[in-house]
Amino acid sequence: MASLANGWDIQTRVIGALMLRELTTRFGRENIGFLWIMVEPMLFALLVGFLWRFMKGPLEFGVDIVAFAASGYIPLVLFRSVITRSMMSFTANGGFMYHRQIKVLDILLVRFLIELIGHMMAYLVIGLMLGVFGLFPQPYDIGFILLGGAYYALFVFAVALVVAPLSEMSEVLEKITPVSLYIMIPFSGAFAFVSALSPAAANVILYSPPVHGMEMMRYGLFGPSIDPQFDYVYPLAVCLPLMVVGLLLCRLIRRRLVIE
Amino acid sequence: MIICENLHKGYRAGHGWNEVLKGVNLTVNKGERVALLGRNGAGKSTLIKQIGGVELPDSGRVIRKMTNSWPIGFNGGFQGSLTGYDNARFIARIYGRTYAEMREFVEDFTELGSSLKMPVKTYSSGMRARLAFALSLAIEFDCYLIDEVILVGDQNFQRKCHAELFGRRGDRAMIIASHDMNTIADMCDRGIVLHNGTATTFDNIADAVAEYEGL
Repeated sequence: MASLANGWDIQTRVIGALMLRELTTRFGRENIGFLWIMVEPMLFALLVGFLWRFMKGPLEFGVDIVAFAASGYIPLVLFRSVITRSMMSFTANGGFMYHRQIKVLDILLVRFLIELIGHMMAYLVIGLMLGVFGLFPQPYDIGFILLGGAYYALFVFAVALVVAPLSEMSEVLEKITPVSLYIMIPFSGAFAFVSALSPAAANVILYSPPVHGMEMMRYGLFGPSIDPQFDYVYPLAVCLPLMVVGLLLCRLIRRRLVIE
Repeated sequence: MIICENLHKGYRAGHGWNEVLKGVNLTVNKGERVALLGRNGAGKSTLIKQIGGVELPDSGRVIRKMTNSWPIGFNGGFQGSLTGYDNARFIARIYGRTYAEMREFVEDFTELGSSLKMPVKTYSSGMRARLAFALSLAIEFDCYLIDEVILVGDQNFQRKCHAELFGRRGDRAMIIASHDMNTIADMCDRGIVLHNGTATTFDNIADAVAEYEGL
C-alpha cells in the first residue's frame, strides 16, 4: 500500500508540474495567459453559431440554433485539437525522458487535460454569456451534460492514445491524419440529432461512439423533447479495447524513442 | 549498485541498422567513481542514456539498486525555451523539493545572476554546464551520471564542481564520460573502455587509460 500511495504521489506531482510547464510554454505569462486555452474553441463555436443563425434562422431541429451549434462544435473542436496536439508529442517532449518518473503517457494525459479544461471552460462561458441574452437554454439536467462529456472525452483520449504512437512510427500516417480528421465531422453527431435522421442513417451513425456522448450532452442541455438516442455500454465496448491497443503501442514506441 | 546485463542498442542508419552497443556488461558499486573511456562515437553517451533510463535498450537490462541522476550534459534535463528559474522550478516540482531551497542552491552554485531570468537556449555552453550541474546537485542522488560536461567550465566552476562532487559528495558513485585523461586519472577509481560495442572493465584506472590511449 505504501508504494502505491507513493506512486500516486509522484504521479500527481509530475502531472501538476507538466501542466504548469505546458501552460507557461504555450501561453506565456503575458496578458490573459492561460485563459487563451478557452479562446479558440469559444470563437469557433460563436462564429459558427452566429453564421448559422444568419443563414438558417433562429431555430434548428426545434432548439435555439446558436446553442445547438455551440453544443456540437465545442466537443468537435476538442477532438480535433487533442488529436492534433497528440501527434509527434513524444518526440517533441523527448527531453522529459531524462527524468524517469515522467512517462510518455503523462505527456499525452497532460496535453489532453489542458485541452479538456479549456473546452469545458469555453462551454461554460458561452453558456453563461448566451444565457444572459436568452440564446442558451437553462440545462435540463447538468448531470447528463457531464456524463455525456465524460463519454465523449473518453473516446477522444482513446483515439489520441492510438494516434500518438502511430504518428511516431509512420510519416505517412502523420501526414494524412489532419485530413482524415475531417471525416470525423459527420460522425461526431454535432450537426443533427439522431432522432432527426432517417432510420437507416440513424442506425449507421450510432456505430460512431462519440455520437452517444453527444446525444447525452444534448439531452442534458435541451431535455427530452429532442428524443435522444444513446447507449451506455456500446461506446465503452469500443473505447476500452481501443485504449488497450493504444497503451500497447505507447509501450512499443517508448522502446524505440531516440532522445537527443 | 548498478548492473548492466548484456545491453544491446542500435539505431536506424538510412536503410540499415547501426548497432552501437553489442552486449555491454558492467557493474558499478555504491561509492565507486568509474571513468567511461572511448573514442568519439564509441557509444559513451548511448551507454549513459541506457543507464539513466532516458532510452531503453533493444535487449538486455539495467538493474538499479541505487538512485541515479539523469545524464548531466549540455542538453537534456532542462528545456531550452524556459528560463533558468523556470527549469529550476520544474525540477523542484517533479522531484518533490521546495522551490525556495532549489532556487537558493542554483543561484549560489551557478553565479549566473540575472541570466537565470533568460531562456536557457540563449546560454553559452559554460553557462549551460553550470545550470545542468546545479539542477542535479540540488537533488541528492546515490550515483551521478556525467557526460563530458565537467570540463567545459572556467576555473572557478571546476573548483566548485570539485568541492561539491568530490568533497561534500565524496561517498557517492559516479560514472564520468570524458576525454581528459588528467582529470580522469585524478578522480576515478576504475575505468571502463568502450570499443567496438563492448565494454572492458579495468580495476586500475591507469590500465584503462593505457588501453584507451592504445586504441
